[in-house]
Amino acid sequence: MPSDQNGLLIEQIKSANETQQRLAIQGHASKSSWLPVSSSDGVLALDEHSGILQYEPEELVITARSGTSLAEINAILAKRQQQLSCEPPQLGAGDGTRGSGTLGGAVACGLSGPGRPWLGAVRDAVLGVELINGAGEYLKFGGQVMKNVAGYDVSRLQSGAWGALGVMSVISLRVQPTVAEECTVGASLSVDQSLSLCAQLGQRNLPITASYWQGGDFCLRLAGNQSGVAAACQALADRGLHQRQAEPQLWQQLKDHEHPFFQRPNSDSSSHRLWRVVTPLAATMPDFLTDPDKDALIMWGGGLRWMYHDDAAQVGEYSKAVGGWCWAIGESMPIAAMQRQIMSQLAKAFDPRGVFASPLGIAAVDA
Amino acid sequence: MAKPVAEQGSNVLTQHSAAHRAVLDRLLELLPDDCVITDAAGLRPYETDGLTAIREMPWVVALPETEEQVAAIVVCCAEHGVPVIARGAGTGLSGGARPHQHGVVLGLSKMSESLTVDPENRVARVQPGVRNLAITQAAERHGLYYAPDPSSQIACSIGGNVAENAGGVHCLKYGLTVNNVLGVRMVTAGGEIVELGGAVYDNPGPDLLALLCGSEGMLGIVTEVTVALLPSPETKTVLLAAFSHVVDAGNAVAAIIAAGIIPAGMEMMDKMAVQAAEAFAKAGYPLDAEAILIIELDGADAELATLNDQVTELLRTHGAYRIDEAHDASQQARLWKGRKSAFPAVGRLSPDYLCMDGTIPRKTLPTVLSEIDVISQTFGLAVANVFHAADGNLHPLILFDANVPGQTDKAMAMGAKILEACVAAGGTVTGEHGVGVEKLDTMCVQFTSEELAQFFRLKAALDPQALLNPGKGIPTLTRCGELGGMHVHKGRLPFPELERF
Ligand SMILES: Cc1cc2nc3c(=O)[nH]c(=O)nc-3n(C[C@H](O)[C@H](O)[C@H](O)COP(=O)(O)OP(=O)(O)OC[C@H]3O[C@@H](n4cnc5c(N)ncnc54)[C@H](O)[C@@H]3O)c2cc1C
Repeated sequence: MPSDQNGLLIEQIKSANETQQRLAIQGHASKSSWLPVSSSDGVLALDEHSGILQYEPEELVITARSGTSLAEINAILAKRQQQLSCEPPQLGAGDGTRGSGTLGGAVACGLSGPGRPWLGAVRDAVLGVELINGAGEYLKFGGQVMKNVAGYDVSRLQSGAWGALGVMSVISLRVQPTVAEECTVGASLSVDQSLSLCAQLGQRNLPITASYWQGGDFCLRLAGNQSGVAAACQALADRGLHQRQAEPQLWQQLKDHEHPFFQRPNSDSSSHRLWRVVTPLAATMPDFLTDPDKDALIMWGGGLRWMYHDDAAQVGEYSKAVGGWCWAIGESMPIAAMQRQIMSQLAKAFDPRGVFASPLGIAAVDA
Repeated sequence: MAKPVAEQGSNVLTQHSAAHRAVLDRLLELLPDDCVITDAAGLRPYETDGLTAIREMPWVVALPETEEQVAAIVVCCAEHGVPVIARGAGTGLSGGARPHQHGVVLGLSKMSESLTVDPENRVARVQPGVRNLAITQAAERHGLYYAPDPSSQIACSIGGNVAENAGGVHCLKYGLTVNNVLGVRMVTAGGEIVELGGAVYDNPGPDLLALLCGSEGMLGIVTEVTVALLPSPETKTVLLAAFSHVVDAGNAVAAIIAAGIIPAGMEMMDKMAVQAAEAFAKAGYPLDAEAILIIELDGADAELATLNDQVTELLRTHGAYRIDEAHDASQQARLWKGRKSAFPAVGRLSPDYLCMDGTIPRKTLPTVLSEIDVISQTFGLAVANVFHAADGNLHPLILFDANVPGQTDKAMAMGAKILEACVAAGGTVTGEHGVGVEKLDTMCVQFTSEELAQFFRLKAALDPQALLNPGKGIPTLTRCGELGGMHVHKGRLPFPELERF
């Protein structure tokens, strides 16, 4: 049931200020295993604070309460041939015991889908937020228009903040028309071949909207109008990439982390430490992976590399050397000292008494 | 911590304080002599940016050549409580780079040498003073380009683009600066060097890079920028459509978007703007039209053929009485020339003009345009409207004569009324030009006192002494209070324990 819980949320925040309780902001808890959380914190539940407030397809904007499920948003957009092209993940959709993610969670975690380098990130889609800060004040930033430079960009700042800078109550996102035609082309390639092909093709005008490499299999998603996609398929066939039948499932599995790569069985004796390594597109692969076919999955034209590996120091050194960064899923987010200090100061500016217990842990550092 | 000079009494105005002498000595130590400007003739060009109605002589201009020099200058200014005003090419239209009488203008024009294109990673790494267009020129031989293209692109700097989150005519499809910048190195208010992002598509934690975009030199000094490059489109078509009614042109824009088409550019001009542009650029615009649309479509050859037909059909069904198609580069350049020279063209009609920059939801265009008409009649000053129709960004140009006593104030007051109409329509007071000093008062209309106080706390988190470009961007609560526009809720001020700004 759509309902406005702002009154209740503000009351809870104010009383947490008085009782010095810390509150963990929670939507569907679909990403609760991605960062370590403290069990002693109270919960500020957002899942009932839901409902789509405004959706005008011609304006390319949707505005909804943050607890609205992504499933509901995707469904209403699909009816009007539109979509969130940043493709935020819906985690655990198959499990059925809980929702697979709220709008607020999608923006707060800022995880972008398989199309990131071509279609933009979650933060790129954010146009405005209505925010409740640590003092329980209700504040509006940004709006529903694409171009807006009035005041600091507090709305996009929320993306990746994991709730450290306030509770987003209402969010406006930019939406895009769905494309008329989508197809997948692929070939068997080694990891190095796939990376160099990506680098070459990336400089050409092709309607690529996602890439995938795993276990010697390389795929590209093409999307656009019919004639454009058909011509691109032809051009890529000449380079040995052939059209695959019925692959939309692959891209959905990558988006929602349901690809078999992410479900490594516990009985498997190899490493279970899963790294999300973000690198420049054409960075070379690390030499510590003994079997990249088994232990690596590559997306974003080379810019996002999932790896199973136990030695944190090796992954860390590699990421740094190529100019990227890495994060082991389930462990704390690595943030460089200077950035962390700025983020902590910002957290204090939005939440002076430290009411919000973000799993990012930036508020905890008291400078 | 030294008390900021800006807050000391006005007597420091005339005689240089000890702090100023110390800063000047340090500047001369750090930089070659010709990079420290103190004489009136040398300072004159820095008196104003593109908002020429507002001027102030700077105290000193420093032109660092390296990031280390920038950091050392900021450290020294912080130590002595002297404001630092970053300046790129000075093309800003809101007074963002307007000097401060007690401050150092930090001109970044000399940091414009280094420009590295990395085609494999599809990025370019550039110094802040590099001109916007120079990036595309350097990337071209790899078949790549940098998408954001403000009309000032031959002159404006990439550092200034980041600081203003500059747009251009291709924003709907390709985004603004914030959507195309991947990394920034900056010098903080404390003089430390921080790297935000890099040649990567994702970063941990709250999006500081997005925060820096559009921060108008108030949160840090940009010393290097990494931008994403895109493959140049194979083909482009430019269409010009003429309408007898503004409403029809507005409906055509809505229909194109509703059909799932995102044109590379879609610009609207009203009759006054068309006539001015035609007289200036001889672009072949129809002088009898009440409004024209200029639409650019781009992509692969195959894609474009069908797109072109689809758009032409939509324009026709929505009342376009004339449609010109330009397929070759010179015809296209001619059609764009009128639009791109609209500002100087209007400048020829009138001794002075003021360019407004509101954004509105597209559907409110007809109502807002008729409100602007009424406002124009009330104030007795003419307006020409140029509109980034695709993304709702409206540039009404107010014509006035600064030599007629009172007209500058009148034009400013009229501009404020127009921006209020934009806010009332669900829009914003600035789409791409920034607040600077020009829109401080209208910010009071758009934001409540709690929101403004939050902005100040954010600012203080990065710049506790308030030395980076003070007095810009966010109006003080006192200023808004005096205007009577302050929205104090239930008579209570937020965070009563914190000091007032
Ligand atoms: C004819 C004309 C057409 C224009 N068309 C457009 C347009 O289509 N779209 C658009 O968006 N704008 C447009 N503009 C406005 C202007 O060109 C942009 O705002 C541009 O980004 C300003 O860049 P600049 O280098 O001139 O910056 P400046 O004017 O020098 O400075 C602008 C702001 O940025 C800050 N700044 C500059 N460099 C740095 C740095 N390195 N680090 C931190 N802060 C810095 C300054 O303090 C100031 O607040 C136009 C201007 C003119 C005169």
